[in-house]
Amino acid sequence: MSVILRCGPLEARDGEGRELYRGVVVEILEGKLTLLKGPSGSGKTTLLRQLVGLNATEGCVRRLAGRDYTQKILPCWRGAVTLLMQDSPVLPGTIEHNLRFPFSCRSAEGRLFDDERAAELLDIVGLGGIPMDRSAGALSGGERHRLALVRGLLWSPSILVADEPLSGLDTVRAQRCFDLLLEFAHRPGRAVLCVLHDAVLGRGTDRTLNLVNGRLEAG
Amino acid sequence: MNELIHLGPFDLAVAAVLVVAAGCISLAMRLDIEKRLALSALRTVVQLGLVGLILERVFAIRRPIFVVLILAVMIFFAGREAARRSTRRYPGIRFDAWLAMAATCLIVGTLVTQVVVGVKPWYDPQYVIPLLGMILGNSLTGVSLCLERFLEHLSARKHEVELMLAFGATRGEALAGPMRAAVRTGMIPVTNMMAAAGIVALPGMMTGQILAGAPPMQAVAYQIVIMFMLAGANAIGSMIIASAAARRLVAADGRLRSERLGE
Repeated sequence: MSVILRCGPLEARDGEGRELYRGVVVEILEGKLTLLKGPSGSGKTTLLRQLVGLNATEGCVRRLAGRDYTQKILPCWRGAVTLLMQDSPVLPGTIEHNLRFPFSCRSAEGRLFDDERAAELLDIVGLGGIPMDRSAGALSGGERHRLALVRGLLWSPSILVADEPLSGLDTVRAQRCFDLLLEFAHRPGRAVLCVLHDAVLGRGTDRTLNLVNGRLEAG
Repeated sequence: MNELIHLGPFDLAVAAVLVVAAGCISLAMRLDIEKRLALSALRTVVQLGLVGLILERVFAIRRPIFVVLILAVMIFFAGREAARRSTRRYPGIRFDAWLAMAATCLIVGTLVTQVVVGVKPWYDPQYVIPLLGMILGNSLTGVSLCLERFLEHLSARKHEVELMLAFGATRGEALAGPMRAAVRTGMIPVTNMMAAAGIVALPGMMTGQILAGAPPMQAVAYQIVIMFMLAGANAIGSMIIASAAARRLVAADGRLRSERLGE
């Protein structure tokens, strides 16, 4: 088991200035689905956002598959360590646009949108019946989460970081989506780090990190 | 040219009857705007009176330094007003608004006064001050609308911007949409104004020139120049303010600095 991603040290404070954690170094193992656990308010979302560089960090070193990513090339890092944000926001426009937009960014670096795979994944998560030209804004919360998951899988970054990607889904659908994440994580050169609200689903994970009392411990 | 009809204090006093009438309507209908109306009317008289006095002096002295000084003051206040009109703010907003107004004034103002109109000497206050005043007054509207729209997007729809950033979009890629929308909004008033010019109402400057005895076709020629000038000024001003705000609110490494954006 090799460490594919190493990022830290990280520290953060909450809105009132209280320290959430300090000196945290995140290590992710290749080919594994790692679950990030911790009591609510412990800073899990903040930690994920700092990891991908959407929240400010200071003196943090980011390393992925033997390559260091400086602050300057953070967009490049985010293209490889991609966050599925909490609440799964959508862009105005069609479902298809929402699936395709990353591929027109410079960070795509030659990645191509796979129409067949898109249709296949949409079918698996239960969105197959919805026309691709429908406005994404009309989707329900659960549908947005599934759309975000499909986009993430199609994007196929080295590390998929997911912040409660399955909330609002019924048990059967949640399990199906979780299986997709697991399957993705087990590929060579890939890994998944996620926060789940549902402990039952988390049973299938390979590894757990606990964010407790401001420290990150492997469980 | 016809003899101009001069307005004296008596004429102005008669005109004041109309403002008083507006005040009476406010009282009768309980609009509760009579105080603001009175204050605004007073400000109009005092501010315009002062401007008139200053302009008379500057026109009489005709020294470039005074013209430049007056322009600097106008730019300062225009920038301050553009920033003040925005319901959201961020550190440096005033400087950015000021920068947008100054750059617009310099680029469009120089082109119009020095190349199109060909003012001689270059600082002739009779041309330079009213023309640049129009650029400032008008692009102030465009700049503040553009700014408001852009900040609104970064605040109410920040998740959309972050969604793009999360997939590795650069600052430019993530903000291209919001910036386009903002600049478009900033251009709406001047586009509408150009489309309606002459049909709905005669533009103010043209009316002024005709009242002052200029031949209508000359007034029209000036008005066309003014319209094009304002279109250019609004586009440039909007673009500058949106770019400046973008640089402050999204770090070069593509991180939205929402904490900088306040009410």
